[in-house]
Amino acid sequence: MENLHHKKSFWSKYIFSTDHKTIGIQYMVMGMFMAGVGGYLAYVFRYNLAFPGKSIPFYGMLGAEQYNAFVTIHGMIMVFWVGMPVLLSAFGNFLIPIMIGTDDMAFPTLNALSVQIFFLSAVILIASFFVPGGAFGGGWTMYPPFSAGGYLNHNPDFFKALFSGTSLLILAVALEFVAMLMGGINFLVTTVNKRAKGMTPWKIPVIIWFLNIGAVIFMFSVGPLVAGAFMLLFDNVLGTGFYDPHRGGDPMLWEHLFWFFGHPEVYVLLLPSLGVLAEIVPVFSRKPLFAYKTIIYLALLSAFLSVLVWAHHQFVAGIDPRMATFFSIGTILISIPFAGIFLSYMATLWGGKITMKVPMLWAIGFIGLFLIGGLTGLFLGSNTFDIYAHDTYFVVAHFHYTLFPDIFFGFFAAFYFWFPKFSGKELNPKLGKWHFWLTFIFFNGLFFLLFFNGLAGQHRRINDYSSFSLISREPYQTFEQIATISAIGLILSQFIFLYNFISTLRSNRKSVKNPWESTTLEWLSDSPPPHGNFNPYPVVYRGAYDYSLPDVPEDFTPQNVPNPNNN
Amino acid sequence: MSIFPENVSTYGQAIDNLFWLILAFVAFAFFVSLFILIYPLIKYSSKKVNRAEYITGEKKKHFKWITIALVGLLLSDFVILYVEHDTWGEIESVPSKADVRIAIIARQWNWIFVYPGPDGVLGTTDDVTIDEMNSSLHVPINANIVFELRSQDVIHSFFLANTRLKQDALPGRTVIRWFNITKPGKYDISCTQICGILHSKMRNFVLAETPEQYKHFTDSLYNANKPATASN
Repeated sequence: MENLHHKKSFWSKYIFSTDHKTIGIQYMVMGMFMAGVGGYLAYVFRYNLAFPGKSIPFYGMLGAEQYNAFVTIHGMIMVFWVGMPVLLSAFGNFLIPIMIGTDDMAFPTLNALSVQIFFLSAVILIASFFVPGGAFGGGWTMYPPFSAGGYLNHNPDFFKALFSGTSLLILAVALEFVAMLMGGINFLVTTVNKRAKGMTPWKIPVIIWFLNIGAVIFMFSVGPLVAGAFMLLFDNVLGTGFYDPHRGGDPMLWEHLFWFFGHPEVYVLLLPSLGVLAEIVPVFSRKPLFAYKTIIYLALLSAFLSVLVWAHHQFVAGIDPRMATFFSIGTILISIPFAGIFLSYMATLWGGKITMKVPMLWAIGFIGLFLIGGLTGLFLGSNTFDIYAHDTYFVVAHFHYTLFPDIFFGFFAAFYFWFPKFSGKELNPKLGKWHFWLTFIFFNGLFFLLFFNGLAGQHRRINDYSSFSLISREPYQTFEQIATISAIGLILSQFIFLYNFISTLRSNRKSVKNPWESTTLEWLSDSPPPHGNFNPYPVVYRGAYDYSLPDVPEDFTPQNVPNPNNN
Repeated sequence: MSIFPENVSTYGQAIDNLFWLILAFVAFAFFVSLFILIYPLIKYSSKKVNRAEYITGEKKKHFKWITIALVGLLLSDFVILYVEHDTWGEIESVPSKADVRIAIIARQWNWIFVYPGPDGVLGTTDDVTIDEMNSSLHVPINANIVFELRSQDVIHSFFLANTRLKQDALPGRTVIRWFNITKPGKYDISCTQICGILHSKMRNFVLAETPEQYKHFTDSLYNANKPATASN
């Protein structure tokens, strides 16, 4: 490390850097910190659910108002301050330039601004807990009129309204969008303009494709929500009535604007992690990615379909019943490209030479858990069954079975895979396996039984079920306790990871240059890559997945190896 | 014991049956997929295999299996859509014969019940409104109860788990839904859309009674409210 310190001070190197790798790591560290905050909130309200009325260790008593705020901000954090920065920004910033063989992002200063605005948004979000009235507690979907003043935090005083939990949350989300938009523009411009010589579109690794498709979906869908968020802010602060039916507004307007963004957002979060799988599965199967081109086409198809499904969140909201059928069909259709992508990954395994190293464990765990998450979506995509299941724990369990593997298994797979790249060190694989198995077991302990609570009619966002005879009985209360104990186990298991991370950084366990024998360009540079990444810049001759080529003695052929047949 | 709460409505069984149908598809897909995922990890372990096969999957004959799986998924999805379609229409539309018409109005934090009064018509001066926490909505069994659902303030959601019915109550609009309960009893109404501090306490009941008991209830209710109505 010491030789890197010569040129720049700590501040210019680690805090105000414009280097894409540093920015990627900044996003990752902030995302991990926010995951800690989100996890703590989850611990507090899960403890309350399992042991109602008891004082919560490391918190105290939890009132209904705090409970509502905690579930709300937990959801917000995990989607916008963990999923987005870690999957899109950290992966995108760290990987795009180095995997397309260039020195940096197209707009490094914009990139630095993006991460600073993101930091500001996180500060504002956390600050919202400490203003009078506390953080917003109306669910992460922020449905007005509840969120639109007059009912919760609204104050006729302009400044008090501006500094209410609701307004601060809207502001924080808006700034987060600004940060992500800057990042998204950078992704696209960089990928279009700065690819290494020879890297034609069909030689771009899947993860780079997917990060860009995710950025496009995000940019396409976020506009309406930003407009909607401004109206919501005005309703709160200026006393307008965009969502107030007594003054000509309509709460349904927000639901459409929110979900027009909210559902595509799911794919913004999913695609980067699917990209991670596309890089890891072939490496540990020593086999080309199955149906590479088809996978890209399927992802493009899913991007198109992603904006045609949003109202499946509103089946019981009072929309026209005939419209629901349209969105049911859209939901059915969008399951097809994703099923195709997952099946292609599984097909990659067949005929391979598989080693279950730590990144591969996370990748396979991801696919297995997502299988449950995806298939339980079939129940909810059915508008008729959704009449019953909507807003119950069945939905909660379903989306945690999609988003948890997506965000955390995807992140850990990537982290264990690329850690040697960004640190030059080798993580302890034994601790990595412990981390995986404990996370896997506790995650299932946490969410599997909650499907049954949902089917029993347990509705969401309730801090005290004592009024509800269907829920406050056995075995559902025991299931709640198993879930909470698993949640605590899940959080504690992450300390194995933290210990592994920090102790490895402080150790001298140097990693070899290409520890997984991968074909992609990032492994050609030093670990950690110096400023500028490559010297000389690589030239690309082949696709990203040339494993076990028939006429080559080695079982992997990097992208910069000339192809005697084609060139 | 059943994984669902007891069904007491005419259309609830169709929703429960739909669940089992989807579960059959899902369970089949799950176990097949799990096999496709786990089996190669053992069969093609690096301990047993010298070198991986070079298969890009770009050829049609290789992708054939995935195409078959996707077509199977699409078909089962459309079977589900076909099967559920009539139930959806049944629940979401108003039955031609309404035996009882009432209004249910949500507010922070209670369900308000409006009975039509002796004339049986809502929106007239003899309507009787009950706004008490933990109160019960009395309904006769084996009758189509058609209700107008509204909200006074924020979005709430009417959930009667034993009938499988859920519907959001939005301020500014009236949604008409119905149910028909076949078994006498007292069933929880809950609010499933987060609506504030006492969201967790927004619990009332539907009290399903025999037609005679219901008649007795409404007679005494309307009699008790007569003087107030007359003085208006």
